[in-house]
Amino acid sequence: MPTIRVVLPTHLKTLSRVSGEVVLELDGVVTQRTVLDALEAKYPMLCGTIRDHVTKKRRAFIRFYACEQDFSNESPDAPLPEAVVNGSEPYLVVGAMAGG
Amino acid sequence: MEGQQKLKAAKVLLVGAGGLGSPLALYLAAAGVGTIGIVDFDVVDFSNLQRQVLHTTADVGRRKIDSAATHLRALNPEIEIQTYETRITSANAMELIRPYDIVIDGTDNFPTRYLVNDACVLLGKPNIYGSIYRFEGQASVFAPPLGPCYRCLFAEPPPPGMVPSCAEGGVLGILPGVIGCIQATETIKLILGNGTPLIGRLLLYDALEMKFRQIKISRNPDCPLCGDSPTITGLIDYEQFCGIRGEESPAVSESAQEEVSVSELKAKMDRRDDFDILDVRNPEEWRICRIEEAILIPLGELAARLNELDPAREILVHCKSGARSAKAVELLRASGFASARNVKGGILAWAEEIDPSIPTY
Repeated sequence: MPTIRVVLPTHLKTLSRVSGEVVLELDGVVTQRTVLDALEAKYPMLCGTIRDHVTKKRRAFIRFYACEQDFSNESPDAPLPEAVVNGSEPYLVVGAMAGG
Repeated sequence: MEGQQKLKAAKVLLVGAGGLGSPLALYLAAAGVGTIGIVDFDVVDFSNLQRQVLHTTADVGRRKIDSAATHLRALNPEIEIQTYETRITSANAMELIRPYDIVIDGTDNFPTRYLVNDACVLLGKPNIYGSIYRFEGQASVFAPPLGPCYRCLFAEPPPPGMVPSCAEGGVLGILPGVIGCIQATETIKLILGNGTPLIGRLLLYDALEMKFRQIKISRNPDCPLCGDSPTITGLIDYEQFCGIRGEESPAVSESAQEEVSVSELKAKMDRRDDFDILDVRNPEEWRICRIEEAILIPLGELAARLNELDPAREILVHCKSGARSAKAVELLRASGFASARNVKGGILAWAEEIDPSIPTY
C-alpha cells in the first residue's frame, strides 16, 4: 500500500493540528485527487481550504508541487511520480502568504 | 571596480521598511547601491524590534523611514536615501516606481503585494519577491516575460483573514533576515548581471525543518496581467480585489443558510442541542456583557486559533451586532467549518429580545 508524504502550509498545519508532514496510506493509483480525498478524509477541517467545497477545483491561492515540478494545472486524475508514490519525495501543498 | 560602479549607478525601491526591508536595506546600503528608495508610512513600535533590525529601542515612536535613513546613512554616507512617507496605492504606485530600476516587495499584506506586482509588470520593472509567515518563507524574482508574475503564481488572494498576518500569527524574528537576505542577494545579482536569478523558480524555506525547497513556476499564458491577451492594463482597486475574491461557491454560502436569529439560538440552548457559541468580540466587550455559554476568540485572532474549534460541530457565531461575526463565519466556512452560522443582530439583539437584563454598549 503506497505511503504518501504530504507537506502542508503553516496555516493548514495549524488548522489540522499537525506539526510535520502528513502521512497517508492509499490503495490503488496515486493521483492528486486520491491524495487530496484521503487528506480531507483524515483531516475534515481541511475541506474547502485547498479545493473548493463544491467544484473540488484547486483554490487560486494554493498550488501543488512534487519533485520540483508544478502539478497545479495538471489533471487531478493523472498518476503522480513514482518518487511520490514510494514516499521518497513529498507532495507539496503551497499556499500564498503575505507577511513581511 | 566595474561591479561596484554598477551598484553605485543602481536605483532600488524598497516597499516596506519592516521585517524583510530591514536586512535588505542594510545589506544594499553596505554593498553600495547608489540610490535606495524606501516607502513606508508606519512608526517604529516595540513589538517590531524582534525582527526589524534596522530600528532600535531609541527609535520607538519615530517614523520608520526616518529611522531607516538615519541608520543607513550612518552605515554608508556615500549613497542616496530617498524616503516616501506614504502608503503605496493605485494612485501613486506608478509615480513611485517609475524612477527605479528594481523594486523589492517587503510588504505585509495581499492588496499591496498585488498592487506592487501589477505596477512592476505594467512598468517593466523586476519585482524581487519575499514573504514570510511564522516559520516559513518564500522568495522569487518576477520579471515577465522572462518568467511568471505574482498573479501567475497565485491568481487570487485567500479570503480575508484566512491566512493570518505576521502581527496576528507571529513570526520567527530571524525568518525575515533569511528571506530578506535572499532578496538582497537576488537584487545585487540582477544589478551585476551575475549568476542565475530566481526567475521562474520559487524558493521555499522551512525554518523548523531547516529545509530549502525549490520549485519551478511558469508564466501563465492566460494571466490577466502578463499573459498573451492581458485584460488588466492599469492599476485596480486592490482592497476590493482582495476583499471579494476567494469566496466560497454560492451553493454553500447563501446568506440565509449562514444566519440564525437570537430566538433560534435561545431555542437551541433550551433544547440543549449539541453546538458551540463563538463570540468574536474583543475581551473588553466580553467583560461588559456576554452569553455565558460562549467561547471567546476575537476576530483578529480567529485564523490563528482555528485549532481550538471542532469543525465537526455546529458553531453559532456572534459579535456585537453581526458584522464581525459575518466575517468570522466566512473565514470558518472557507476553512472547512461547514456548520458555522452567524447570529443575526449579535448580542444587541440578544439583549433586546431574549435577556434585557444584560448591559449593552
